[in-house]
Amino acid sequence: MAELIKSKEELEEMKVPYEEYCRKAFAPGKEWEKSEALKGIRWLSCTMYIFTPHSAANLAELGAEVIKIEIPRMGDAMRHTSPFNEAYLYPLHDTRPMTGTGFGFLGANVNELYLSMDYHIPEMREVFYDLVRQSDGLTELYRPGTFDRWKISYRTLQQINPRFIYVWGGGFGYGPKVFGGSYDILGQAHAGFASITGMHEHMGGHALKSTNWVIDWASGTLIAYGVLAAIHWRRKTGLGTMIEFSQVQTPTRFSGYSVPLYGRFGIVRQRWGQWDTQLCAHGIILCGKSDYPDAQNPQDKLEARYVMVSAFNDPDFKELCDITGQKKLYDKYKTQKDRVEALAQVEIYTALEKWAADKTRSQVVKTLTDAGILASPVMNHREVYEAGHMRARGTLRWLEDPLFGDVLLQSGHSTGMMTKTPRRTNWIWRPVGADNIKIYRDMLGKPISKVEEWYAKAWI
Amino acid sequence: MADVIWCKKEKGGKACNTVNYLDPYCFWNWEGKVNCAECGTVYFIHMIQGHMYIGPEEKPGEKPDKMPLYADKPLEGYVNYRPGTAGKTAPFECIPRHFLLGKADMVKFSIRGRPVRGWRPQPPSAGTAGSFPYKWDIQKLSPEVWQEYQEKKKKGEVKDW
Repeated sequence: MAELIKSKEELEEMKVPYEEYCRKAFAPGKEWEKSEALKGIRWLSCTMYIFTPHSAANLAELGAEVIKIEIPRMGDAMRHTSPFNEAYLYPLHDTRPMTGTGFGFLGANVNELYLSMDYHIPEMREVFYDLVRQSDGLTELYRPGTFDRWKISYRTLQQINPRFIYVWGGGFGYGPKVFGGSYDILGQAHAGFASITGMHEHMGGHALKSTNWVIDWASGTLIAYGVLAAIHWRRKTGLGTMIEFSQVQTPTRFSGYSVPLYGRFGIVRQRWGQWDTQLCAHGIILCGKSDYPDAQNPQDKLEARYVMVSAFNDPDFKELCDITGQKKLYDKYKTQKDRVEALAQVEIYTALEKWAADKTRSQVVKTLTDAGILASPVMNHREVYEAGHMRARGTLRWLEDPLFGDVLLQSGHSTGMMTKTPRRTNWIWRPVGADNIKIYRDMLGKPISKVEEWYAKAWI
Repeated sequence: MADVIWCKKEKGGKACNTVNYLDPYCFWNWEGKVNCAECGTVYFIHMIQGHMYIGPEEKPGEKPDKMPLYADKPLEGYVNYRPGTAGKTAPFECIPRHFLLGKADMVKFSIRGRPVRGWRPQPPSAGTAGSFPYKWDIQKLSPEVWQEYQEKKKKGEVKDW
């Protein structure tokens, strides 16, 4: 056994070459020198808000040519919703130079071409079919049967293009509640996800939704996996597929053991919030002092007080108790089984917070990490921006957007790096209908007089 | 709700017939003299919780403490006195703070000092959305921002992060 154990120096030596290998292989910032995995795939995105648009953006980041089709002169509703409406990047459209697009739109529609079309009117149906003939697939988000009523659902489109892959990102999908649309928060509520998020009520907590629309973002990413599987299937069979993806079902996927727990024992899972039902200590504690007591911004001045701490196995927990002067706690809760009990957790975290009451966040993190215990400050987004780890890996990066200039964004590297075909962001978005000529005239061969006529009628 | 003073004062053989609106913000709990916006007759009133407890009682020859918010003449179509009519209705004394006046600050540079674009209003040189060139050449389309950017670079205010 002895020869297998390596010294710290030996480990460092092993680490450096691999680190260098990875840096060179992934090379953040050099994505544009490499190939695009999905180049050659053309996708239509008849989507709004975040959930379904993000599914198409995933393809576009990987190199697919995604055509976002928006309502003429108005565009995706998400352009106008969040945050603070459309107060950011102008103009929205030729006819609305003083209306812009809000930052809430960012990240869900990158690299796409922007077409405007009122595809629900019979006059544009043939043009829509022309697009379908030249595309590999489509994502839509409308309520059940809407596209079917407009004669552009999978039933119709597979007759036109048997290789067509069709994603219906319905809110509830088919089945009961068939008329329901959905939102992220509805998904978090409907699938029981919010019921296990946040602290228990007797600890002052309530059922919580996550501040950001995590279900939207996660569901969109999951759709992209379905699309990739469908593309692989089509290579083997030559046939398209219809993918039905209900947003409100997705959070069940993120609920861990809640469902089988109920199935076997009839136990309804409780909220456990900052702590963990399976591991202790493994949670977030509040320190007494801010890291930035003189800061103006309350996010710094008041909120920079949380620390994530993890010391759930016995030696780590013993060290945690030693370093925080809680030897009695260790004597009382020596095993993991003892510690995960609810009352034990209340006692342990209360003691830890008492210990941290006269300390700053960074003092707590330093004390714990110096003792070999895993601890991390809960960082706000200014700190995330300043984190070297994020910058070095290209996860947060600055983009010189061709239209909108200097933009800070979380790149496709947040969803994993690839050595040969990395994700990339070429542009964040373009105005409504910015690529109408390129697509109607250059791709579909429609005469410019026709395009002008449709434009005058607000069909495009 | 608050109350109104329907002025019936006869002038030139004709009733004034002006409805003076006493907005709840100023008059909800208030005691004092208020004028009719049309004929200037001064009335004493005492309002408690929006109800006319005393008055309106004419106070000829006295000066009003406060003017009504708004007044109109319902029997004569849509004749009215808008808020802020000098000598008739109450002036605006609460001018909104500058950041509530709807004039946006134009952010020209990101937090690392490089130019951003897509601001409002767009300069006419930007053209319209459909005619947008693929790339916005800031030097050509926003020369003043370009100039400012060059100066920032000289001062070392442009950073990588």
